[in-house]
Amino acid sequence: MTSSGKKPTDISRRSLLGTAGAGALLAVSPFSINILRAQEQTIKIGFPVPLTGPYGTEAQDQVRAAEVAIAEFNEAGGLNGRKAELLVRDDKLNPGEAATRALELIEKDKVNFIVGSLSAAVQLAVNNVTKERGVIFNSISQSDAINEIADFSKFTFHEALNPHMTAGAVGRYAFPKFGKKVAFLTADYAYGHEMVRGFREAGKAVGIEELADIRHPIGATDFSTLLPRIQALKPDILCICNFGRDQQIALKQATDFGLKRNIKLITPILLYTGRLAAGAQAFNGVIGGTSYYWGIEDQFASAKAFNDRFRKMHDGKVPSDYGALGYGGVKTLLMAAKEAGSVESEMVIAAMEALKYDYYKGPQYFRKCDHQSVQSVFIIESKTQNQRNEADVFDVVATEQPNEANLRSCESLGHKA
Amino acid sequence: MHEASHISEPLAAAPRHRASWFELARQHRVLLSSAFLLAFPLVMPFTALAVNILIYGLYALGFNLLFGYLGLLSFGHAALFGTGAYLCGIAIVHFGMPWYAAIVVGVLGGVAMAAAIGVLAIRTRGIYFAMVTMALSQCVYYLFYQAIDWTGGENGLRGINVREISIFGLKFDFIDPLTRYYVVAAFVILALIFLSRILASPFGAVIEAVRENEARARASGYNVTATRLIAFILSGAFCGLAGALQALHLSIVPIEIMHYETSGLAVMMSLLGGMGTFFGPFVGAAVFLLLENLVSLWTVHWQLFVGAVFMVCVLFFPKGIWGTLLQRVQK
Repeated sequence: MTSSGKKPTDISRRSLLGTAGAGALLAVSPFSINILRAQEQTIKIGFPVPLTGPYGTEAQDQVRAAEVAIAEFNEAGGLNGRKAELLVRDDKLNPGEAATRALELIEKDKVNFIVGSLSAAVQLAVNNVTKERGVIFNSISQSDAINEIADFSKFTFHEALNPHMTAGAVGRYAFPKFGKKVAFLTADYAYGHEMVRGFREAGKAVGIEELADIRHPIGATDFSTLLPRIQALKPDILCICNFGRDQQIALKQATDFGLKRNIKLITPILLYTGRLAAGAQAFNGVIGGTSYYWGIEDQFASAKAFNDRFRKMHDGKVPSDYGALGYGGVKTLLMAAKEAGSVESEMVIAAMEALKYDYYKGPQYFRKCDHQSVQSVFIIESKTQNQRNEADVFDVVATEQPNEANLRSCESLGHKA
Repeated sequence: MHEASHISEPLAAAPRHRASWFELARQHRVLLSSAFLLAFPLVMPFTALAVNILIYGLYALGFNLLFGYLGLLSFGHAALFGTGAYLCGIAIVHFGMPWYAAIVVGVLGGVAMAAAIGVLAIRTRGIYFAMVTMALSQCVYYLFYQAIDWTGGENGLRGINVREISIFGLKFDFIDPLTRYYVVAAFVILALIFLSRILASPFGAVIEAVRENEARARASGYNVTATRLIAFILSGAFCGLAGALQALHLSIVPIEIMHYETSGLAVMMSLLGGMGTFFGPFVGAAVFLLLENLVSLWTVHWQLFVGAVFMVCVLFFPKGIWGTLLQRVQK
């Protein structure tokens, strides 16, 4: 065993650079952040939303709106001087990633509350993680399942509307007005089916005749085989029960096929961002529901105040529907914490349940049995003419007032009333 | 001392003491890997990520047995991973089984699924094998997607809530992140021991022989078809275990776990870490998941950076990060 074949000077420049590089990388990496993290008594709100992926536009707007709620809270002195902080995480629209991020927020960042999500599956994943660990989660995206007893826990709140409420409201408005013969074009997954169920429930009272429920796979790009079938059925109304890009493409192709000549197109959720992206023509005359449209500021002083603040913070832009939910989700928790004088879960839950609030869209409150926010649904129609500006894309044609009768009953969800 | 050792043969020119160090490390690869895994959470930004890396590392390891050692590129491993996860979850949610029995169910699920896919797919090779496995895994995806009553469909399976686990009368708080890590790590280490045993066995030599030259292996009297099927099923056991652990860790099973992107992930991690190396899949999983998590914290354009890093890896680490590193050390 003599000395090695290479001379000691043979430490090559490359390996030296490599080692130095690795060392430097380790030093600046977030591993060191762990140690440096200051342990101030800020109120931390975790905010997992799909910043990347198909709903990135909506998610980024949710963050902007949540920042408004945080800024307002801090300017008003916080909770006895304790300021609030938003910890935004990208859940990539993937439930597994969202669950991991929720674990990170709870275990490492020790957040007090979690608000967020923009998909039924993602919110149910986050909810399962938070309820096991006793952390309050206020969901700001649609789902019927989250109200049901299997997923619900006392730590679960739902600031967003659910498909039953929006589809119901749109149905109650449209069926008496445009006719009783109804066809459905449905994205074949939980959210699509939940919307159809909402329409059917609303249709029972009016006595609609269901011609067909035509399903398409989620993420479809071609509806040309389905549209002639719908045309042949000659319905008065076509309910388009899908979301996002599916909705834009379906509406575009339905317009090209001339469906709008004899059939009224309605959809449970008309997205502000979707309408901006797809343009006026595809959405022309389409009626749908929404949780928020900036145009309601003529009706509600709270909406006006929220819009003005949002415009001021974000270069004159107006908040979108899903964006506004980001504001509502964070605001309710912070105000409840203020009311309770604490961030302790049990006290905040009690304060949330007692909350009667009007922060951005008229009066709201959380129903006791399933923590669903009872709120108004706005029926909007897309417009092509007389647009005052770029953001002026909808007319609010009706408002369904907050009413527990429009929700599924506590018993049917499995709760004891 | 180790003149006849087969690993140092082609490296006769290399300094002997380095080779023997390397040989020593090679012989105790399970011990070294285990020691590393035990200290691993201390250097990670957060524990849940460390658990994910363990699980995806194990998943890639199972894939690597087939890809790296046998030379079969499968694009359907998500079906094995997902079946393990779903069956473990279903055992707990719908049948109220204890956690350890659920893990067994998950592993058996992975094995059964691998046997079913394997029987159909091993007749083909090369690109056709990749296509057949991918097609079959998509069938499995839709099967689980449509079985809403069992799997939750699009909403995913929720409620795999294990709060406490007891091992030989000792109770552990499974909600605690570090406990969760070490429980998962224990299973991963068991899997590492098992894999090391497989690779060191005559069967391990046969699968490498099939990879190097199928005709010669056949001519030497080995049953190539059976070897492939058994390797596929063993791979299914590892992936099924990884899936079961994932279900316990996240307490949910999303349908995305069955998506072909998850199959692609295994290919990516194996290539990144080093195909056909013992510890490479873990390195690949760690690098991939760390990059994704860290970069996405400061920019929404994280994919751009992660893509650039991959290109650098492909250019400068042709045998994967771990594989290239090993090669350097051996020189």
